[in-house]
Amino acid sequence: MNRWTTALLALALFSVVISVSMGREVSFTEALSVLWHHVTFGYGATPDPIADRIVWQLRLPRAVLALIVGGGLGIIGAAMQTLVRNPLAEPYILGISSGATAGASLFYLGFLPPLISKALSMPIAAFAGGLCAILIVYSVAGGRGHLSVTRLLLAGVAVASLMGALASFITLSSPDPDKLRSVLFWLLGSLHLATWNALIWPAIAVSIGLVILLVLARPLDGMLTGDESAHSLGVPVESVKRILIVLASLVTGSIVAASGAIGFVGLIVPHAVRSFTGVTHRRVLPASFIAGAIFLLWADVAARALLPGAQLPVGIVTALCGVPFFLILLRQNRHGFG
Amino acid sequence: MRQICLLFLIIAGCSASLEGERTIQDDLGRIVEVPHSIERVVPLAPNITELLFASGAGSKVVGVSAYDDFPPAVDSLPRYSVIPMDFEAIVALDVDLVFASEQVNNPKDADTFAAVGIPVYFVAVNTLEDLTRAMRDLGELLGTSGAAHKRATQLEDSLAQLAALTTNLPGKPDVLFLVEMATLYAFGQGSYIHDIIDIAGGHSITKTQSIRFPILTDEFVLVSDPDVIVGSFGSGFEKSQLLTHHPAWDILPAIVSDQVFGLDPAILRPGPRLVAGSWELARVLHPEAVTNP
Repeated sequence: MNRWTTALLALALFSVVISVSMGREVSFTEALSVLWHHVTFGYGATPDPIADRIVWQLRLPRAVLALIVGGGLGIIGAAMQTLVRNPLAEPYILGISSGATAGASLFYLGFLPPLISKALSMPIAAFAGGLCAILIVYSVAGGRGHLSVTRLLLAGVAVASLMGALASFITLSSPDPDKLRSVLFWLLGSLHLATWNALIWPAIAVSIGLVILLVLARPLDGMLTGDESAHSLGVPVESVKRILIVLASLVTGSIVAASGAIGFVGLIVPHAVRSFTGVTHRRVLPASFIAGAIFLLWADVAARALLPGAQLPVGIVTALCGVPFFLILLRQNRHGFG
Repeated sequence: MRQICLLFLIIAGCSASLEGERTIQDDLGRIVEVPHSIERVVPLAPNITELLFASGAGSKVVGVSAYDDFPPAVDSLPRYSVIPMDFEAIVALDVDLVFASEQVNNPKDADTFAAVGIPVYFVAVNTLEDLTRAMRDLGELLGTSGAAHKRATQLEDSLAQLAALTTNLPGKPDVLFLVEMATLYAFGQGSYIHDIIDIAGGHSITKTQSIRFPILTDEFVLVSDPDVIVGSFGSGFEKSQLLTHHPAWDILPAIVSDQVFGLDPAILRPGPRLVAGSWELARVLHPEAVTNP
């Protein structure tokens, strides 16, 4: 744990407290007292039931979902950029998110029967869609045991368009026009469906992703130097690439099912982080996780605050404030990549 | 060359027939040039279809949108897509005038219709008064003002009767009206929904929302503390579905006292059946005071 990671962790905790306490409906101090009441397992005065529900059942799960989704997008973004050794990569570049969106809309609009439970069917449909997209991309880019990065990127862009078209087609041909509105909102990326129960699957998937990527930190460092030199360093390059691809569709699928396709986090965050931590994955990955989490949390605070009583999809905010920030960063920091 | 001459003749014939025109203003304040005698019209939204039939102009409707389901006469009419707009299908129906809904249709579609010489009249129903006003306007425009006036007056009488039942009721419950269960789409400022809640003896909690179609937050609902939640969820709806999506709502008065209802979306669209919808809502809000229409 280096000092940047520690500082980011402290900032994340502070951000959660602030985000949970901010809002028109419950005063700052009242929100803090609700938090205190729960954190100390019932110490102090019993809070007002409405304030209690707003803080503990609405704002906190939403803040935690923002952390999970932002963090997940951050690490997968960092891993994808290493995989293709290209700073343009992010979880969406390989068509995974479009595939996941297509799968999830297919389920949501009633074209697929609910399999096990409704809560689990949507992530499974999204994961299946994402995996389906990536398998197409992979089979185009692969061949004779070698994975071509150029073909991977090109096929990814093409399949992303294909899956995007498929998702639009599914949405427009929905037998239930009322559900269209919900899908459109969810497609833009939003955290408004967060409940404690809805957090379980994304939390598991993102944790698996974080642990496996940290285990792979050293091979990933090797891969930055290029396939052949990584190979000579003893990195099983092709296996690592396959693991990264499946992991990316697992994490992205679970995130898309929970919050729709939120763009730019996976692209921006690893770049911002590298200018502080350097390119070593042992540092980049935890820092990307925490920075992505914080970024999305604050973006959601803004999304909640911009239209009082109503809400904006957070995906709009991440694009609105993320992209100018990214452009400034690009102009100022000419940090190296790989 | 012969074909070009023929084409020219057809175009010339068209412009000659355009001469008997008059100028009217639609609900958006647009100036629309329409023929003196309008015989073939198409609506671009289901509520417009219902308004046309209720205004006595049903026999002039020569096609309906893919979403239309009422009155039963629409079943035998040709269908076309409105989202996205199928311009070719409308042109093929050889219509004199297109009726669009201000809530549903894209104003830009009118430009495309204008380019092929078909005028578009936008109808806006944002209050209960708009409803019967629009019917009378349509009747006058299409030469069926007698029938339109008669039906509009019937609806107004029915509404007056309902208002008489609900005006002096002691408690007016705070009502939350939702369009969708998971994502909280609702109606904000300037919607007819607040009028029907009002006349049904309730108070709409989203009446002052500054956005026309806001997406509410769970927090807003918790703090607004609605006594009744009504949604266009259809009749197969169950309270438990709402709690699955919004577990934090378990302490709302509406949930605790079981005042959560799903109404048929078709009677809540801004058409003539909105009057029946108002009565239905009144029966839900005040079952003891409101019995039969």
